[in-house]
Amino acid sequence: MGLRKTPAALVAFGTAAALAIAGCSSSSSSSAGGSSTSSSAPAQLTVWRMGGSVASQVTWMNNVVTQFHKDFPAYANTKVNVVWVPWTSRTTDWNNALASGKNAPDITELGNTDTPTEASLGVLTNVSSYVNSWSNKAGLVSGMLANDTQNGDVYAVPWFGGVRGVWYRTDQFAKAGITSPPTTWAQLVTDAQKLQQTSPGTYGIDAITDDTNAFASFLWGSGGQIATQSNGTWTANLTSPADEAAIRYYVSLYRTYHLSPSKYIGQTELGNTGSTSGGANTDFGLGKLDLYIDGPWASATMPTNSVDKANWASFPIPSENGPNTAPVFAGGSDLAIFKTSKYPQADWDLISVMDNTANSTSFANLQGFFPPYTAELTGGPYKTEKFMSGFATAAVNSQVSPLNAKNWPTADTGKYFIIPDMLKSLMNGAPFDSTVAQANSQLQTVLNSGAES
Amino acid sequence: MVKTVSGRPGRLDSPAGPSSRAPVGFRRRASIFIRRRRLAPYLLILPSAAVIAGLVLWPTIQIAEFSFQNYGLPQLVGSSPAQWVGFANYSQILHDPEFWLSLRLSVLSAAAMVPLTLIVGTLVGLLLSKLGRKMAAFVSSVSILAWATPAVSASVIFVWLATPDGGVVDWFLTKLPAWLGGGAHWAGFSWTNAALPAYALATALVVWTGFPFIAIAVFAGLRTIPAELFESARMDGAGPWQIFWRVTYPLLRPIFQVLFLLSVIWDFGVFTQVFIIIGELGQRDEYNLGIYEYATAFQLPPAYGLASALAFILTIILLIITVGYVRASVREGALR
Repeated sequence: MGLRKTPAALVAFGTAAALAIAGCSSSSSSSAGGSSTSSSAPAQLTVWRMGGSVASQVTWMNNVVTQFHKDFPAYANTKVNVVWVPWTSRTTDWNNALASGKNAPDITELGNTDTPTEASLGVLTNVSSYVNSWSNKAGLVSGMLANDTQNGDVYAVPWFGGVRGVWYRTDQFAKAGITSPPTTWAQLVTDAQKLQQTSPGTYGIDAITDDTNAFASFLWGSGGQIATQSNGTWTANLTSPADEAAIRYYVSLYRTYHLSPSKYIGQTELGNTGSTSGGANTDFGLGKLDLYIDGPWASATMPTNSVDKANWASFPIPSENGPNTAPVFAGGSDLAIFKTSKYPQADWDLISVMDNTANSTSFANLQGFFPPYTAELTGGPYKTEKFMSGFATAAVNSQVSPLNAKNWPTADTGKYFIIPDMLKSLMNGAPFDSTVAQANSQLQTVLNSGAES
Repeated sequence: MVKTVSGRPGRLDSPAGPSSRAPVGFRRRASIFIRRRRLAPYLLILPSAAVIAGLVLWPTIQIAEFSFQNYGLPQLVGSSPAQWVGFANYSQILHDPEFWLSLRLSVLSAAAMVPLTLIVGTLVGLLLSKLGRKMAAFVSSVSILAWATPAVSASVIFVWLATPDGGVVDWFLTKLPAWLGGGAHWAGFSWTNAALPAYALATALVVWTGFPFIAIAVFAGLRTIPAELFESARMDGAGPWQIFWRVTYPLLRPIFQVLFLLSVIWDFGVFTQVFIIIGELGQRDEYNLGIYEYATAFQLPPAYGLASALAFILTIILLIITVGYVRASVREGALR
């Protein structure tokens, strides 16, 4: 299980663009698969996983590989090489693998918001024929599969999904005299203020700027939309009254109510962009933050010296006026076959083991996600468990669009950070109307642009 | 030009005795050819010229080609052909407000970094010349340590020093008396989420790693100036300020000019330190030109054509600065 060298991005600058294109690569380790073996039984399959290597997930993967060798005796000698890729460098690494032709994955995990973009860029293999003859196809959550389908062709299969909610501590709630979780924005502020008062030295809530997947719930929670599509054309809605109310509210958490510290401006839930600690996630774990917006998977990145874990609980992100919860972004990961892989059949066979009902469910549970199968979701134990119940409630009211739009990664985490930049400017005191209007027109332009101008 | 004896054609045949009238061997003939045409110097630089051509010239030609094409991921993968787009990439960059913003940050930060590095470096160089042997050796080797610290390590350490979560910089500023600008408002101050504090931190870092080179160069230059010049200046009643500007600076001007030129090139193109301080690519309003170029090339969707055009613009900007400066220096007779 090799850890990937991350700072490859650091050295690449200027002329590196030319070097990469010219086919020079600084990487030295072996490339995927043994080219001398026949296409039916590759010597090695390389699987790219996102995030950091976690012991329990490594064990899980080892079990999958054992099962793979057992179910498909033809691959008994096929080695499965797992490479861990940090989320932040995934697109760079995919591109570099394509550009250099070396160290490319056979199978890659990718965020469900990445799939439409990468599919349209031609990075993924069309897996329609495999999926259509797959017995598990019928059981998949249909919306998740639809996200991976373009013009009737399937480019990836859903692996797991998850939603965000608000983390809190039951003992802190009791101390502040809060008997039930807030269901409106006003209550959210009041409760955060109470928590900040009764737990001195803590921040009430994290109004971070660089997590649009979470902020979307506020835009949707006032009845707004980020952008809507009709006849193939996107219209950005940030200047609508509902969206503006949400933006004003979110910015006020910092500027008016001082519930969120200034250091969260420009940060993701994990800290400064590009780092994986020192942010709201760490602060909540150490008891310095009272309310923390993230999915259940965040427990994997909480510091090991986190305090008061037994009292962790969750509630759904409230909507503006309640009592219904705000719609949440249905996030998750897909599995896809990389275009350059020489062994699509073997890749698919491995995917079918990784993503079967039992394995995807055990994997989802391991990480705090939900499996991609409808039956598991509705019949699962999630509703009754204290920590997962808030997320399970939230998951019922979920939305993806426009976060799966072809150009969304470009607009939000790629070349542009339109909504994060807007929130950051507003929190730093920029004039409201012109800043939002500018972000709105930029968003509309990017969403409607071609994949490559 | 002095004509060498061995270069005279007539001499080639003279030492040959009757027995060696046989046809001249290949090696011999080759050496005659080389000597007659005076090719030896060219042959000697050929290997390094070939390496430079392969590593610098060829990529430059490719970048030039890409800068006139719509070269992106589809072209890289081969799913659609590259098209010639004329100057479209260049005009797109010049119309991008982000380009002007990052250019502004690059120029302003270089305008702060270059003079500060030169001033601090010169002062330390002057200090070194006043110190005794042992102390000078100590100070210079300690400063060299700062210079030798890898940029990534130094950046990570500076970010850590200035972290809002109990970083020593914020702690110190809260302890500072109010008349020096200190106070409780510095607690939890983030140095990375706005351009001004982020570049203040980057400037401190660049000056810290950059001054030792200047100091050592100035120190080395000072040792070439005869002590009598300083002595007579002192006899004539000049103070340290006057001695520096009337004696030291004019004599060391060629050194200062080279140091200035190098500092401009280094500080205008600073990438690593700023990349780490602003948190990689998350903060678009804090990009400098190098980071803007990197993001253009590799962020989704990758636009290699656009970034190639940008690379050329960046090169041209630096060329304008340096060529103008070198010309001025040559005219003044500082560089020959």
